[in-house]
Amino acid sequence: MAAYVVMLAWSVYLGGALVMELVWRPAQEHLPMAQIGVACQVMGRRYRWLALAMLAVIAATGLALLPARGPGTLTLSTGYGRTVAALVGCWVLLVALVVGMAFAAHPALHARGAADLTPEARAEARAGVGRAIRRMDALLRVELAVALVATLLGASLPAGGML
Amino acid sequence: MRSYWFGVIATYLHLIAMATYVGGSLIMEFVVGHAQKSIPPAQAQVMGEKTADRFLLLAWSALGLLLVSGIMQAYAKSVEPMLMGDGLFDSGYGWSLFLMIALWAVLVVNGSIMTFVLRPRLKGKMGAQVGAAQVQARQDHLMKTVRQMQWITRADLVIALLVPLAGAGLLHGNGLFTTGVLAPLGLG
Repeated sequence: MAAYVVMLAWSVYLGGALVMELVWRPAQEHLPMAQIGVACQVMGRRYRWLALAMLAVIAATGLALLPARGPGTLTLSTGYGRTVAALVGCWVLLVALVVGMAFAAHPALHARGAADLTPEARAEARAGVGRAIRRMDALLRVELAVALVATLLGASLPAGGML
Repeated sequence: MRSYWFGVIATYLHLIAMATYVGGSLIMEFVVGHAQKSIPPAQAQVMGEKTADRFLLLAWSALGLLLVSGIMQAYAKSVEPMLMGDGLFDSGYGWSLFLMIALWAVLVVNGSIMTFVLRPRLKGKMGAQVGAAQVQARQDHLMKTVRQMQWITRADLVIALLVPLAGAGLLHGNGLFTTGVLAPLGLG
């Protein structure tokens, strides 16, 4: 059952990252900027908690699965142990990325300027949102790349690890 | 066991395809679909069409990749005769494999109905010279199609949750019917 839960949680996490990159981002081109902002806000609010919950479930069920491999396999002298260590590193990186996106990059996308801004200040605020969008895109790509590497590491575990 | 890397790559592709289909379906339903309701109807329709078109492509690619990587995994574990029915029902592993293949076939059938029957119905447009009765009939027809699509999507979600259960049994043991939650059925 733990294997099922970890697989399902990982599927939801990776599937979400793939949908954001391959479905939602291209679809944005067909929507007005204001509606993209609203949809991103609603989506981001739900997705960040879902992503963090899935990463927590992966950690809990992953830990439950490890002893099943047998004693002595979880040391850095075995390929299995090194692969598990790399997976833990990926997990920490993913949590940091999701937290960074959720609580820093995502709020910056919706920065609103006051109504009495000068044209220069308004242009600067708009440029700031543009930078935030590019930063968010870069973070999403890094997140997807780390998730794909982690999937490869996880795929090698039933065969004894790959490092 | 055949080549180590062949097996790892097969499992890797299978996991990515499963995540795309299973996780993608759940995210489309509960995150993208939810956000769609927060914008005005005209834009929501555009968003729904564009995201659904792209996800349909992704879902079909995932179903294709599941088939190819599943066959690769069978070769990697030297159980490919089971794919031709040889000894398929003699072990818990075979029963689990059969369950996975059957669920995959249901997903393909459902996907075909969605892609080739229901979605084209939603895209048809009416001419300008139609009466109120025809408009009403068209609206009823559209609503019926949308309800049918919702039922199929829900059925797909349930199946998508069952497929990894069978997969986990195969990846970490001898299948669901021997060591997994369906062991009491005694098909191992």
